[in-house]
Amino acid sequence: MKKPYIRRRKRVLKRLLVGVSLFLLGAAIFQSLYLLKGQFPILHWVANPLFLLCLMTLLAIVAYKPLDGLFVEIFKRFLFKKKSYAHLALMRLAEDLRLTLDLQELGNLIVNTFGEILHLKTAALVLPVSPKGKYKIIAGYGWNVSDYRKVHLSPEAPLIHLIRDSGPHVLIRNRIFRMVSWQDANRLAHDFDALRAGWIIPLFVQKEVVGLLAISSPQPDRKFDQADFQLFREFSDSIAKSVKIAAQYSELKQAATELQDSQSQLIQKTKLAAIEQLATGIAHEIHNPLTIISGKAQVLLLRKDRDHLEPNVEEVLKTIVRQTKRAADITRKLLMFTQGTVGKKESLSLEQVLADTIALVSYQTSLEGIEITRSVTPDIPPYKANIHEMREIFFNLILNAVQSIQSPGKVHAELDYDPHDQIWIIRISDTGKGLGQELIDKLFNPFFTTRHGALGLGLFVTKQIVHRYGGSIRVESRPKQGSLFIVQLPYTDKIGSDPLSETSPAQATS
Amino acid sequence: MKTLLVVDDEPEICDFLKLFFEERKYQVRTATSGQEALDMIPKVKPQVVLLDVHMPGMDGLTALKRIKETYSDIKVIMVTALETREKIEEAIRYGADNYITKPLSLEYLEKDVREKVAHLAGEKISQRE
Repeated sequence: MKKPYIRRRKRVLKRLLVGVSLFLLGAAIFQSLYLLKGQFPILHWVANPLFLLCLMTLLAIVAYKPLDGLFVEIFKRFLFKKKSYAHLALMRLAEDLRLTLDLQELGNLIVNTFGEILHLKTAALVLPVSPKGKYKIIAGYGWNVSDYRKVHLSPEAPLIHLIRDSGPHVLIRNRIFRMVSWQDANRLAHDFDALRAGWIIPLFVQKEVVGLLAISSPQPDRKFDQADFQLFREFSDSIAKSVKIAAQYSELKQAATELQDSQSQLIQKTKLAAIEQLATGIAHEIHNPLTIISGKAQVLLLRKDRDHLEPNVEEVLKTIVRQTKRAADITRKLLMFTQGTVGKKESLSLEQVLADTIALVSYQTSLEGIEITRSVTPDIPPYKANIHEMREIFFNLILNAVQSIQSPGKVHAELDYDPHDQIWIIRISDTGKGLGQELIDKLFNPFFTTRHGALGLGLFVTKQIVHRYGGSIRVESRPKQGSLFIVQLPYTDKIGSDPLSETSPAQATS
Repeated sequence: MKTLLVVDDEPEICDFLKLFFEERKYQVRTATSGQEALDMIPKVKPQVVLLDVHMPGMDGLTALKRIKETYSDIKVIMVTALETREKIEEAIRYGADNYITKPLSLEYLEKDVREKVAHLAGEKISQRE
């Protein structure tokens, strides 16, 4: 983008041309006087070499400045087009402005072009940012990102008022300060300083202030001239328009994203509602027959002291009771996770819950050649939660990790605590088959599964529980590189204030 | 005599509960709707009512409300296929004495009913004194 600047070469050439012109001028005068001497003998002193010296010195003194100026002008206009680089760059900028819709990209383009062609220390594009309309720097040249993020002007700041009042004129710090009272100057200085600005180029679209360009005072060796002002005026117009369009575009994009988000939330809610309805229907229709089957089997079983039961019959009856309960648990689980549970909350050692869960699955996994390891940060405070729900989280995540591993592999569970934000962190990683982005997006959807015969509720349920505790769950994964699930559970006071937590009856589980 | 009223729109459920509790020396009457149960209570005078929540006609929660309004000393155990939070809250607000879900664990149910009856007996004794 940046072309070699040819100022020095030009200067040498200019001096040379001025010298040659002076010489030619001197020679011409001398020649004409010499010719005149023939007719007017009184001019005999022309032949004296001292005269030639005096003439040349006089010319050099009198004509150098105007000639120099003349050549500068000629250079500017025709030969080297002094503004050519600036002009070209700004013309290209104008072209790019039309093609760029991204506000950030546009901002960078503007400040960088300005900064480079005008050799500025700093340049910043300042725009009103919704919702409060505070003016913030969205792109800076010669600024640290972290520095300019901190800068903001209220819509009522003196500088903004001044711009509104004075219209689309370039504001020069020192000149403005001379024109206003010292109190106003003081207040304005604050705004100018905040933006590190010597000059402010307001951006107007019709009568609306769409933003401003704050640029540092030019370096001492480089003064802005009439042509620069012309440039500023020309380009502030097109910049203002592009910025306005880009700002509107980004607002639209933002609105579209929000709409999409709320849409997907709505879909998720609708899905949940549908599942709830389905589960309620299933529960009602299936639990009654299950109750009858299980009930009659239990009647027979509980009679075994009186009526003799064949051992195999007793076994069958027990199986019936067990299996009907299992069938009922599916719908109960479904229901439990589409709405809040009535579980009792208590202070739990998540470490203990993790250990219990690993103990539960490790027998099976050791047969499959899967090793489960864990690391726990010392002194993690107890977490107030429902033990079944916490078990569900660990169990689902660990089971999910185990099931993603086809050959021997490893699952690692980590328990961590962030005392500053009071967040309990669970990380479960595996060496399994990993997931592509399109699977990650669907991973927490109900009934989504990659395994044959699985219900696809484990991670969905986990997410529901985590969200109920105000926490978050996310996954980092790549195909064939394993997965990492991270659950963060924040401390909340609301947990445990459930009015039902103490009164809800616990049904005996057989 | 310990008297139990079983209310469920599934006759089969009423049947095995009746069989089960009769074997444990309870007098058991059954009803298949909330209205029928309300009609029977003055005659049967049960100590404990096992009440299904979902029934055609008058549902269990309405029946519970009526029973508790008129006969505050009758213990009512809600029995349901569903355990939505709202229903449980509603039942507890109406004064349900317990809330258990299907399929039933008969051992647990019997223990619960026995406790309720014993509790009632204790209350009566203390009232007489």
